[in-house]
Amino acid sequence: MRARTIQIIMLGSILFTGCEEKTTNIDITHDDGKPVLALDYRDFDQAASALVQSLLGSGALKKEGGGRYVVATGRGQIINDTMQRIDTDQLMAKIEEEILNSGQAVMTSAIGSGEDKLIHDTRKLRDAEEFDRSTTPARGTLIAPELTVSGKIFQRNIRYDKKTQQVEYYFQLKLSDAKSGLRFWQKEIIVGKRGSNKSVAW
Amino acid sequence: MKALTLLFILLVFLATGCYEPYDSRIHVRDEVKSDSIIDNVVTRPVAKAFSALIGEGIEVDEAILRRNEAGILELYINGHNRAYSTRRFRYRVEWLDADGLVLETKTSVWLQASAMGKSPFSLKAVAPRPEAVNFRMDTRKWE
Repeated sequence: MRARTIQIIMLGSILFTGCEEKTTNIDITHDDGKPVLALDYRDFDQAASALVQSLLGSGALKKEGGGRYVVATGRGQIINDTMQRIDTDQLMAKIEEEILNSGQAVMTSAIGSGEDKLIHDTRKLRDAEEFDRSTTPARGTLIAPELTVSGKIFQRNIRYDKKTQQVEYYFQLKLSDAKSGLRFWQKEIIVGKRGSNKSVAW
Repeated sequence: MKALTLLFILLVFLATGCYEPYDSRIHVRDEVKSDSIIDNVVTRPVAKAFSALIGEGIEVDEAILRRNEAGILELYINGHNRAYSTRRFRYRVEWLDADGLVLETKTSVWLQASAMGKSPFSLKAVAPRPEAVNFRMDTRKWE
C-alpha cells in the first residue's frame, strides 16, 4: 500500500513538473511575444524611436550659426497621467541618449531631471582647505540650457463592446526655447490596444 | 457554356490591367467608385480570390535617400500593396556608416506600418547621426 502511494506521488510530481511554465529570456531585438494591454518595453521603444526620428528630422536642433544647443529636461516635466506606474525617466533616457549621440545638441546635468548633484557639491569645495583651488570650478562656468523638453503620457480607456476594451496611450513631447518661450517642435505618438475587458491595463 | 464563362473570366483579368484612373494621385476605392463592366460586384470577388491565391502583397517601388538641412540622412520608401486586403507589417531600418558598419541606436526597432488594399504607402525613417551614409531595411509580419 505504502509502495503504491509513493509511486502515485512520484508520478504526480513528474506530471506536474512537466506542466510548469519555463522562464525564458526575452529576445528584445526580435520579440515575437504577444502584445499586452499595458505598456511594455516595446511600446516605449517604438514611441521613443518615432519621437527621436521626428525631432531629428524636424531640424529643430540645428543651431543657427553652428554649434550645439544645450538641452535640459525639467524635473517632473514629463507627466505620467496613466493608470500605470511609469518612470518617465525611462522614456526620456532613450530620447536624451539619441539627442546626445546625434551630435546636434548636448544635455545638461547642471539642472533638471538629469541633474548631477556632484556638479553642485564640487562647487562647494572652493573654500575647502583640503582641495587645490585651481582644480575647483570657477564661478559662472555652468552653461544654462537653451532648449527645454517637456511632455506627457496619458491613457484613455474606452469600452469597445461587451467583451472588449480599447486602451489608448498618448505620448506627447515638446521642445521649447528657454529664452523666448517659443515652441520649436512637438509630436504626439499614439499606441492603441484592444483586449479583453477582463484584462487590467495597469 | 463552360467555355463562355472561362472566356468571360479571362477577359475580366485582361481588361483589369487596362484600367486607367482619371488622375493617378487620386485613389477611389471599390464600393466608393462607380462599378464598371470589368470591375463590379460580380467580378470583384473573383479578382480578390485570385489575388489571395497567387499571394499578392507589399511591393517596394523606390527608396529615396536625402540629407536634411541638419545634415541627417532621411529615407523615404514608396511602395504599394498589390493585395485587396490591408497588409499590416513591421519594419526596421538600420543605418550604416562609411565603412558599412551598423550605427548603434535606440531608433532601430521594429515599427508598425500598414497599407490598405490596392493602395500606395510611404514610410519615412531618419538616421540617428550624420555619420550614416547608407541603410538596410528588414520587414516581418505584424503578428
